[in-house]
Amino acid sequence: MDMPLKKPLSRREVLFGSYLGLGGLAFLDLLASDLGAATVVPQQPLAPKPPHLPAKAKRCIFLFLEGGVSQMDTFEYKPALERHAGKQMPKVEGAVGEVATFAAAPNRVIPPVAAFRQRGKSGLWVSDLLPNLAGCVDDMGFVYGIKVENNNHPPAVYHALTGSIFPGSPSVGAWMTYGLGTENQNLPGFVVLGSGSPAVGGAAIWSNGYLPAAYQGTLFRTTTPVPVVDLKPRPGMTLQQQRSELDLLRWLNEKHAAERTFAGDLEARIAAYEVAFRMQSEAPELIDLSRESDATRNLYGLDDPVARTMGRQCLMARRMVERGVRFVMVMHGSTKPWDDHGDIKTRLPLHCHEVDQPIAGLLKDLKSRGLLEETLVVWASEMGRTPFDNNLTTDKPGRDHNQYGLVMWMAGGDVRGGSSFGQTDDFGTRAAGEMIHMRDLHSTVLRLMGLDQNQLTYLNQGRLKKLTDIGGRIIKEIVTV
Amino acid sequence: MDPQPSADAGAQLSEQTRTWPYRGPIDPKIPAVKNSGWARNPIDAFILEKLEAKGLTAAPPASKRTLARRLYFDLVGMPPSPEELNAFLNDVSSDAYEKLVDRLLADPRYGERWGRHWLDLVRYSETEGLEGDVQLGRSRVILALSKIGGNPWRYRDWVIDAFNSDMPYDRFALWQVGGGDEHSKTRSSYEPDIRNYVALGFLRMAPWDVEDFVSEQQRQVYLNEVTATTASVFLGLTLGCAQCHDHKYDPIPTKDFYRFQAFFNAIYVSDAEVPYQDKAFREKAEAKIRYYTDQLKEGSAKKARDDYEKLLLDKLIPLKIKEAAGRKLEAQDLRLELRNTEQKIFTPAEQARHAELEADFNRMGDAEEKQALEACEKVLLEKLRDAYDRKLADPLARFRRLTVEDVRASMPVDGAERKYFSADEAEKWQKLTDQIEVMQRRLARWKPVALSVANVAGPPIGPPLPRTHVLIRGDFRQPGEGVDPGFPSAITGNSEPAVIDSDRYRQFPTRGRRITLARWIASPENPLTARVMVNRIWQHHFGRGIVGTPNDFGRNGERPTHPELLDWLAQRFVKQNWSVKAIHRLILTSNTWRQSADNHESAAAAAKIDPENRLLSHFSRQRLEAEEVRDTILFLSGRLNLERGGPSVFPRLPEELSDLAKPVPAGGLQWEPNEKEEDERRRSVYIFQRRSLPLPMMAAFDATVFNETCPVRSVTTTPLQALSFMNGSLVNEEAAYLAARVKKDAAEDRRAQVRRLFEIVLNRAPDTDEMSRMVDFPGSLESLSRILLSSNELMYVE
Repeated sequence: MDMPLKKPLSRREVLFGSYLGLGGLAFLDLLASDLGAATVVPQQPLAPKPPHLPAKAKRCIFLFLEGGVSQMDTFEYKPALERHAGKQMPKVEGAVGEVATFAAAPNRVIPPVAAFRQRGKSGLWVSDLLPNLAGCVDDMGFVYGIKVENNNHPPAVYHALTGSIFPGSPSVGAWMTYGLGTENQNLPGFVVLGSGSPAVGGAAIWSNGYLPAAYQGTLFRTTTPVPVVDLKPRPGMTLQQQRSELDLLRWLNEKHAAERTFAGDLEARIAAYEVAFRMQSEAPELIDLSRESDATRNLYGLDDPVARTMGRQCLMARRMVERGVRFVMVMHGSTKPWDDHGDIKTRLPLHCHEVDQPIAGLLKDLKSRGLLEETLVVWASEMGRTPFDNNLTTDKPGRDHNQYGLVMWMAGGDVRGGSSFGQTDDFGTRAAGEMIHMRDLHSTVLRLMGLDQNQLTYLNQGRLKKLTDIGGRIIKEIVTV
Repeated sequence: MDPQPSADAGAQLSEQTRTWPYRGPIDPKIPAVKNSGWARNPIDAFILEKLEAKGLTAAPPASKRTLARRLYFDLVGMPPSPEELNAFLNDVSSDAYEKLVDRLLADPRYGERWGRHWLDLVRYSETEGLEGDVQLGRSRVILALSKIGGNPWRYRDWVIDAFNSDMPYDRFALWQVGGGDEHSKTRSSYEPDIRNYVALGFLRMAPWDVEDFVSEQQRQVYLNEVTATTASVFLGLTLGCAQCHDHKYDPIPTKDFYRFQAFFNAIYVSDAEVPYQDKAFREKAEAKIRYYTDQLKEGSAKKARDDYEKLLLDKLIPLKIKEAAGRKLEAQDLRLELRNTEQKIFTPAEQARHAELEADFNRMGDAEEKQALEACEKVLLEKLRDAYDRKLADPLARFRRLTVEDVRASMPVDGAERKYFSADEAEKWQKLTDQIEVMQRRLARWKPVALSVANVAGPPIGPPLPRTHVLIRGDFRQPGEGVDPGFPSAITGNSEPAVIDSDRYRQFPTRGRRITLARWIASPENPLTARVMVNRIWQHHFGRGIVGTPNDFGRNGERPTHPELLDWLAQRFVKQNWSVKAIHRLILTSNTWRQSADNHESAAAAAKIDPENRLLSHFSRQRLEAEEVRDTILFLSGRLNLERGGPSVFPRLPEELSDLAKPVPAGGLQWEPNEKEEDERRRSVYIFQRRSLPLPMMAAFDATVFNETCPVRSVTTTPLQALSFMNGSLVNEEAAYLAARVKKDAAEDRRAQVRRLFEIVLNRAPDTDEMSRMVDFPGSLESLSRILLSSNELMYVE
């Protein structure tokens, strides 16, 4: 016998001793292709891993504004809408087939809800509804006219967040923590900041899909006293009492492991209890905003009742990336607030008010703390909207779905500030030049985090699956790498 | 990669590649091994041969106690009670173990445990996923076209019963693909066996997007899903990879994907009423149906809501009067007045005209209907004003025509301004209404309607079946070459159309496609079917399959670790009439399965040569699956409710998610109250499977509600699992019940309590160290119970 039985070689040591030696994902990939879908799940699935490629951003805040943000009322200026206001939508030059809509045929054109202005040194156009974000354009890179694969919310949401129009694929945050692990082992690597009711698409939008459960998003609800399910000890249970129970449990478990060979999985579960115990104190501290200065609270709009909810979410997001959480997805509102089929004149300014100061505050705060360099911030929604009215039967017009008209922007990391890419027709209905697909955005986001879309794969149902499916083009025009 | 399907790729490939796994099982020689005494049955010889070749030894047998626990968890998903274990330990007969295997295979809990493995494969769910996540079989879009109302749980129970009754696997496969599609060779007017419609739930489990208005696309998405899933589940073939281009790794041309799909071309989504077979269950269901029908007609909840709505109506009328007094007459006033069929203001022709236009508008809501209605109402409103001015009609009389429908319509919608009712009133009304809705759902769930499919009519009732086409790049708008139903050329060696097994006179011209495919799948000659299934059985006994990628026997999947053993088992399976239980017996009585989880002799070498234990030099320790975790905890506390079958149950959501149990605008109640308190404690296989809301604790233990076939669950270890144990309601509440149970057995003596606690939870006595630590522990018996329930020794089976 060439090895003492008391302290046998654990599976973790076998695998990850060599894993670290080989340097990162190459070995994971080797495992994946070697072992197939039944890939061995590493005992420390969230241990930090080096990126494939050099990149400044180490963490990502992904803002998701559910419902389909109207691009022509926010970031994409289309003067033709003013000229045609109230008139029948003309046939768009060069448009192939029908303009995609959900409920209505093209009809009356709705002018932009508010005036647009050129902002910053870059002179990019932003609506007056977003005065604070307008001040940040020189940090942002915009992409106009993005196509998603479906024209209704749930499939489009799945597409924007998982790359597939069906539930069951890993969310972009799951891919990122799978690829990079996370820096703070006392907190989840992928956090979802929700604000209230369930999102359209439910838990599937932050799911690990076919990746191991360790990569699933952990929902932090910012409107309930306890943010994470089962985070708080039960009434009557003190932390001391819990600690003493966990000590006895640990003693039992260690004794049990010591009596066994091949104990890697047992050790991992012992460690998970210790992390959970620490998480109980770290996570509430994380969402406790009381120690933030008044200046910071004001910056995020916490004293504005309309902006407060999103402000809290954005401030928590900053606190999370500060503490090394790899991926924070911020869900704005609940039940697709941006789905402005009707009364867009009243509704849209309200949503803009809800997010403008909080998100601008986040960008400014990250920047002043030197964190924007290392933090990629992404603004996304699942679709754009139509230039024309949704439904003639109401006297309060709104815009219909438009799967070809999404606008996204990014900031931080290697994003080229003040840049933009993508050209849409005069009415903002669809790309006028190169067709930009959601895959292209996903590959760009991955690249900005130092991940190569073709190396970040997982074998499932006979295929090496990846976030970008058949592969996307990195939008070089808005990045510096 | 050329995205275009190549015309004869199948024919070319088949010649060179009809190798494993497309060639049938060979009859392997049972290998000779050095340690021949160890080989209790041929499985052991195949395993030992590879171990010896690598210089490894098999582990010593596990102790009788360990073996019993392993066997209970494996077959019924929970440990033995102390009494059951003692009975086994005290049975010194030479076949005590074999008797236990037989006893547990006959235990109805077996079907609940092994049926769940199958439900993973078939992406079992009770909701559609996607918008609103409504129940499968309740989709209003299909309702307009077909008979629906099917209950997914019927399929779940069918699977459980099939495992319990050891339905031969060929029949099990046959009915899930070909149910309701069979015919008689001799009779001309044969009606398919209606019982087999329940099995067709397999073809209905795909996520379904009710809001996809492009019907052709929706149908194609459905057919693609069914094609890929059928091939993965029954054949271990990743046919789905060939949907848009020829398979990149396996000899599957795109054309074969669509030839396979053509077998499903006659499918017509339609649910079926299939009477309950079990008499006791039928009576129970009938009583439930009677109860809910009565309740909905005149029960207390119905009455409470009626009364409350009347109360609200009394409040609404003066509010409406007051509101109307402050403004000009509007269309709503006119419509209210027109409800009075006795009124004298408008002529019968005007009334009829308005009623027609209003109905049109309500139905369509389009601009054209709206304009027509408005034009009509403009004239009538003039007339109404005039009538009121001239006092020809009482302007207040119309408000007496308000009904409870108007009360409902006046409830504030999702954050809108509250005009008539307070928040409290709206909430109380909503609660009363939810109670009614829940009863309506329960009534529908107890009805014997199964989720199913039928065939489209075909001539002479309808047109002949359209031809299936290869779709260029998988795009339904780009049909290519037309294809006929045919089996994968990699297996048959040719691309000939399949001979459709039709009835004698082709009286039912759309019947026979699915059954033709099903018979080919369920044939002893099919090289994959038996292999794929025995591999799955092996996988769930050992933690991994002989082929580690059980849904992919192709080139991108894993090679079998023991190909001869796999072939040998596949042949035995067929020879023993496709009996799943016979394969269980064979595996469970092998020495291979009975090895200890520790192999001190080979540990160091095995860690180096075979760290994944693919060669099985010891038993691989297995973390309990989510269902086992929950069921075991309830079993140990003595509170598991073993009631079998029927509509699913709704264990409480964690408090932090409890608002999800409230109605949301898009989908009504996401989570419902249970019919009775003890439903909360049913086995996990009976938990309602909502795609958008898997129970957090189950999801943390890798059991989500699946959207696609799941052949292998991941096993992850996360802090969230630990949190659910430390702070979640299940472990904490059951720990208290477990403590009470122990107290009842062992009175107040702490040492006796600890002994009993160990005996119940771990089926063993504590050692001296454990005893002294537990006795000295300052916490309560409940604390000790919680600690043992959380122990690795319980969580990992060895």
